[in-house]
Amino acid sequence: MEPSLSRRRLLAASLGGTGAALLGLTGCGASSGSVSAGTGHLSVWYWSGALSTRLLAVSRKGVPGVPGLKVEGAEIGDTYGKLLTGLAARAYVPDITALNSDVASFFPHEDQFLDLNSLGADSLKSQYLDWKWQGGIAPSGRMIAFPIDCGPSALYYRKDIFDKAGLPSAPEELAQAASSWEDYFAVGRKLRSAQPGTFLVGNIASVFRMSLLQSRKQFVDRDNRFIGDQAHVKRCWDLAVESLRQKLSAKINDGTPDSNAAYAQGRIASACTAVWWMGGVKQTAAKTSGAWRVTRMPGGAANYGGSYLAITKYCRDPKGAFEFVKWLLGPANQLAAYQEMGLFPSTPAVYDKPAMREPDKFFGGQRPIDVFGPAAQQAPVVYFSPYEGNASTPVYQELTNVELLGKNPDKAWRDAMAAAEKTLSQKGVR
Amino acid sequence: MALAGATGAPSTKPSVTAGKERVSATAGRLGSPVRRNLPVYLAISPFYVLFAVFGVFPVVFSLYLSFQDWDGIGTMRFVGWQQYDWLLHDSVFWKSILNTFEIWFLSTVPMLFLALVIAFLLNSQIRYSMAYRVAYFIPNVTSMVAMTIVFGSVFAQAGLGNSLLKAVGLGEFGWMTSAWGVKVSLAIMIIWRWTGYNALIFLAGLQAIPAELYEAARVDGASSRQTLFRVVLPQLRPVVLFTVITSSINGLQIFTESQVLFQASNGYSTGGPGQEGMTIVLYLWQKAFGDHQFGYGAAIGWALFVIVAVFAAINWRLVARFGEDRPATSRRGRFNRAR
Repeated sequence: MEPSLSRRRLLAASLGGTGAALLGLTGCGASSGSVSAGTGHLSVWYWSGALSTRLLAVSRKGVPGVPGLKVEGAEIGDTYGKLLTGLAARAYVPDITALNSDVASFFPHEDQFLDLNSLGADSLKSQYLDWKWQGGIAPSGRMIAFPIDCGPSALYYRKDIFDKAGLPSAPEELAQAASSWEDYFAVGRKLRSAQPGTFLVGNIASVFRMSLLQSRKQFVDRDNRFIGDQAHVKRCWDLAVESLRQKLSAKINDGTPDSNAAYAQGRIASACTAVWWMGGVKQTAAKTSGAWRVTRMPGGAANYGGSYLAITKYCRDPKGAFEFVKWLLGPANQLAAYQEMGLFPSTPAVYDKPAMREPDKFFGGQRPIDVFGPAAQQAPVVYFSPYEGNASTPVYQELTNVELLGKNPDKAWRDAMAAAEKTLSQKGVR
Repeated sequence: MALAGATGAPSTKPSVTAGKERVSATAGRLGSPVRRNLPVYLAISPFYVLFAVFGVFPVVFSLYLSFQDWDGIGTMRFVGWQQYDWLLHDSVFWKSILNTFEIWFLSTVPMLFLALVIAFLLNSQIRYSMAYRVAYFIPNVTSMVAMTIVFGSVFAQAGLGNSLLKAVGLGEFGWMTSAWGVKVSLAIMIIWRWTGYNALIFLAGLQAIPAELYEAARVDGASSRQTLFRVVLPQLRPVVLFTVITSSINGLQIFTESQVLFQASNGYSTGGPGQEGMTIVLYLWQKAFGDHQFGYGAAIGWALFVIVAVFAAINWRLVARFGEDRPATSRRGRFNRAR
């Protein structure tokens, strides 16, 4: 063969390849925005731990009861960022996607998602926790997100340490002795004097977070007005500062090696947090098995975390997608996902099932559902605006400054409010 | 080009064809080699196409974006210079610049010194020197996210760092819980990552110094200290300059270390206690991808560009000054005369 000819062919082939790739990049998106275009299945994006892998393995082969429908799950590391990129580019958007507990941040762009009520969601409403259901409904009344799991919260505590300190240690006794945050702190003061070096809370940010989640109002109201400087937020701030003033905080950030060590060694004797922390504490403090108990959280029930599924407007088969959502998140499979992954069901009917009522050795044979079930049903309906993350970030920053750097709490509060208002005004919140 | 020629041409015919003729006539001499070399241009075009798509376009688009208000999904709204106006009055932004320079200084000075020492050691006749070179370079190619998690345990209150301090009789240090601790921790991570890289560059510089210079110094009876300060360091000057410039460029872009080390439980990273670890690029990231203020993020990016440009200008002046009076050559001349 002539070398020049083959070289020219090679050049032509490589150029053709590049051109075709570039055309492919743009062309595909133009014809259809769905990432599953041209395949025989629908796509669902989620992050590790958000959905049951066993159930997704089933739907990959075929969704039971819906002939011909296949839904393939894709575990995406940064689901939020990738989804945002796809929506901005109007290309490579999944048919169905998991959204986290900050689902409200998508409300300004609710038109990117289908109204699930128009697909028949309203007939399922009674099966789900009301506050969770409301959380997926945009202020316009369109329902853009369907409940996956939820995060009812409780007071976790070390019964052995409370016993040693001579404090009420049976779940019901402690719930009564620490029914309000102030009473809880009083318990903490006794704990501190009886067991020096043992703390009631890990950090003061957790006090702020959990007490604020008990409030129906957060940082921004339904009319997009900043209300974060009002009494309902200031009270939570004051509680957090009070826990520091009374030396009840170990001053250790959550999720750090120090925090894991402190729970394992019993330096932090209690924690107010969500049901999903059961998995975490069992791992980080495995040796303390049997010593923990759970009871009602001071100040009342609250929800912390839990995610949603949404169907995007690029979905190739909205009816099929909704059938999949109905199947995956129906009561029977919520129970299956709890058993497999510890995803706490948002369908209260299954709380009575034997699988949920099993005693837990880690909690000394206590049935955690006795605490988390009622907490899930009593959690308040909270209005989360699209801007809670923007508004709360400076507050958490200033709480850290107060706790670790000894910043004056009054100045810190003023700085936090100024920073929150600044960011919000830049985003169009009054 | 053709269109401009068409409108500009004083012509009687329908102007499009006239313009074409005109353009091809003026470009005639240039045009034929271009056409002859077309396959070559086509062959190198993939790089330029990809560079245009992934390099030029984002730069231009970010400039456009910095004059818009955009949350990533909705429609953009033109806001003129407002983002830049906000930026100039944003105390966190100014703090992030100060932080970046403080961390840069804390890391670069010890790093370059350490690198120089290591380069001297590697340059001497030692066994397994190749293995050492590889070992010193490995930190530079390790995943920064993974390493930051490891460093998270080193800097923990009950971590390796404090254990070491206690072992030598010192008290605990708030690596991640005090204002200077945050900066020192970040600087240590940068030193760990870049010392080996710079050591290898210094080593290359050392090996490029001609052996006659050492010989001449020895003949002149120079002590080893004199050799170091009168021969080696002057010869290394351009290499030192290079490492200073690259460290400045890298130092102004510190991001991953701070983002991962001080990630809050809500996923946001605001740079740790007192925002002492808030760097320019971390602030860009937080505003764009945390607060979804993409216009503001783009404005921060362009502010960073200005800072880097000023830095580059200073560096350029330094290079120019070294060019004028060349102490290295003048000393070499002296040696030559002596010989």
